Amino acid sequence: MGHWQELEHTADLALHVWGGDLPDLFATAARGMFSLLVDLTAVPATQTLPVKLAAPDVETLLVDWLNELLYWGERERLAAYAEFEFAVLTPTTLQATARGGAVSEYCSYIKAATFHNLEVRVTTEGYETEIVFDT
Amino acid sequence: MADKQYFERVNAYTWELPKWFDARMQVPARLYCNEQIFDLAFRDKSIQQLINVAMLPGIVKYAMAMPDVHQGYGFPIGGVAAFRYDGGIISPGGVGYDINCGVRMLASTVRHEELAPYLEELLTVLYQNCPSGVGGKGAVRLSQKDLERVLERGSEWALAEGYAERADLVRTEDGGSLAGARADAVPPRAKERGRPQLGSLGAGNHFLEIDVVDEIYAPDVAQTFGLVQGCVVVQIHCGSRGLGHEVCSQYLRRLQGAPARYGFTIPDRELVAAPLDSPEGRDYLAAMFAAANYAFANRQVLAHCARRSFEKVLAGKVRDWRLRQVYDVTHNIAKIERHRVAGREQRLVVHRKGATRAFAPGHPDLPEVYRQTGQPVLVPGSMGTASYVLAGAERAMEETFGSTCHGAGRMMSRRQAKRSAHGEDVRAALRRQGVMVRSGSMRGLAEEMPQAYKDVSLVVESVVGAGLARRVARVRPLAVIKG
Repeated sequence: MGHWQELEHTADLALHVWGGDLPDLFATAARGMFSLLVDLTAVPATQTLPVKLAAPDVETLLVDWLNELLYWGERERLAAYAEFEFAVLTPTTLQATARGGAVSEYCSYIKAATFHNLEVRVTTEGYETEIVFDT
Repeated sequence: MADKQYFERVNAYTWELPKWFDARMQVPARLYCNEQIFDLAFRDKSIQQLINVAMLPGIVKYAMAMPDVHQGYGFPIGGVAAFRYDGGIISPGGVGYDINCGVRMLASTVRHEELAPYLEELLTVLYQNCPSGVGGKGAVRLSQKDLERVLERGSEWALAEGYAERADLVRTEDGGSLAGARADAVPPRAKERGRPQLGSLGAGNHFLEIDVVDEIYAPDVAQTFGLVQGCVVVQIHCGSRGLGHEVCSQYLRRLQGAPARYGFTIPDRELVAAPLDSPEGRDYLAAMFAAANYAFANRQVLAHCARRSFEKVLAGKVRDWRLRQVYDVTHNIAKIERHRVAGREQRLVVHRKGATRAFAPGHPDLPEVYRQTGQPVLVPGSMGTASYVLAGAERAMEETFGSTCHGAGRMMSRRQAKRSAHGEDVRAALRRQGVMVRSGSMRGLAEEMPQAYKDVSLVVESVVGAGLARRVARVRPLAVIKG
């Protein structure tokens, strides 16, 4: 199971994310991002959100994935997503189902996941990356 | 990473890193700040980010940082960079996700003592009338066609709809309406996000503040600006909401392949750029201008809501409740401007990312009323501390493409701020200082604690010392609304 760590950043929010494989990295990055906004243990599992994306490379796919979840989280009422299942995940394509539900507030605000210094690295334990979010 | 030793001190408030420091640098890098702030700049990645900007093609003179500089996610915040119009580039990261985040100030002749009995009620009415918070719906209902008009006309739309007086537009940067904006360049999802949000503050470090003018430094200029000692002003700080963020995200994505296509390299993907005369460069400029118009209209609607609130609470109870616009500035933008470089006037694409335009007296782009004083520059401090009103000065035109700082500048991470205090403690501490706060989020309030920011008076001292602007007035807060 992947894990994340919040990094120091003067004005924005940043995470270091590790995952055993690519789906684990993407799921952990999403959970880490929402952990900056809500208490993950309080996220209901009342909504499912299908997500289908294509991108030229894995970094763009990761940014697209996180920004897609942010968009749907803010779209109607505020929502957060904490569970993710991937039917397809290659470095350039993604088909997934996100599970989550309405929350009363976000304790912070993320405008977007950025490309800043973004690199998905393969390691002996799987994958890792660092993502900066504009707040 | 550059060490302090590689910087040359040009004068008391200017530090320069020569371009030989890194072979990829096209121009030197410059910081405009006092010694204390210079030291602070090395505590995060600001300097490396500034050096990265100096590597971009077509950059002219210097990659610059103002004294409120801090680490961003591509360009440093407090960054100014100008590129040749012919053969130069435009970079969405040099504008930011919150396109035309900016500040508007409205002044009154309501004396602090007149307001005091009604301040709490006024704050409550403002909090009700000026929507704030994450995902907050705006004060205005827009159809699709309305939104297209907002994108193409900005404050002119607001005037036509009864949300503005003509004097508001005169006293707004670019009249609140950038020519060249195209609604068709704005992605559909951006429009979808923006349509319900017009007339809302948003969250994060955005605010609406009631202040009192507590010091005047330049009496003649203050009088022209409409600032009276002991009288109340309103500041509104916000931007283009979800619409702007989406425009930035989608164009950053669209431009990812541009450097390879057009034959240049960039040190950081967030600095991606395209030639201004490429299809994607032209589309981004048009979309960015449209998002900027949305933000001007947004602040105009909020100003209207503030006026309605003042009228509701104060009409008949004070001599004159009216709010008159001082100015509206943008601090995340790229503009086409003419500047003198090496003795020759050139057309440039000036990017200001957490930096404010500060045109000097006599500049033809200033409204007649401010031609003699220079442009008002609004510099909000951190929550609960003073804000400053400055006026643009001639050295800014010579040194920084008519630019100066935009605020206090952060120095503590949000993570550290959240660990140091709770929102309730911050609110209580502000209350003890005599500042009332309404906030939608306690944790958000902790992140915005005053100690997380540099001392704005030191930032102002640096820009004044560097000759980029002069002090006109200081205002201190009485009440704050935060999302």
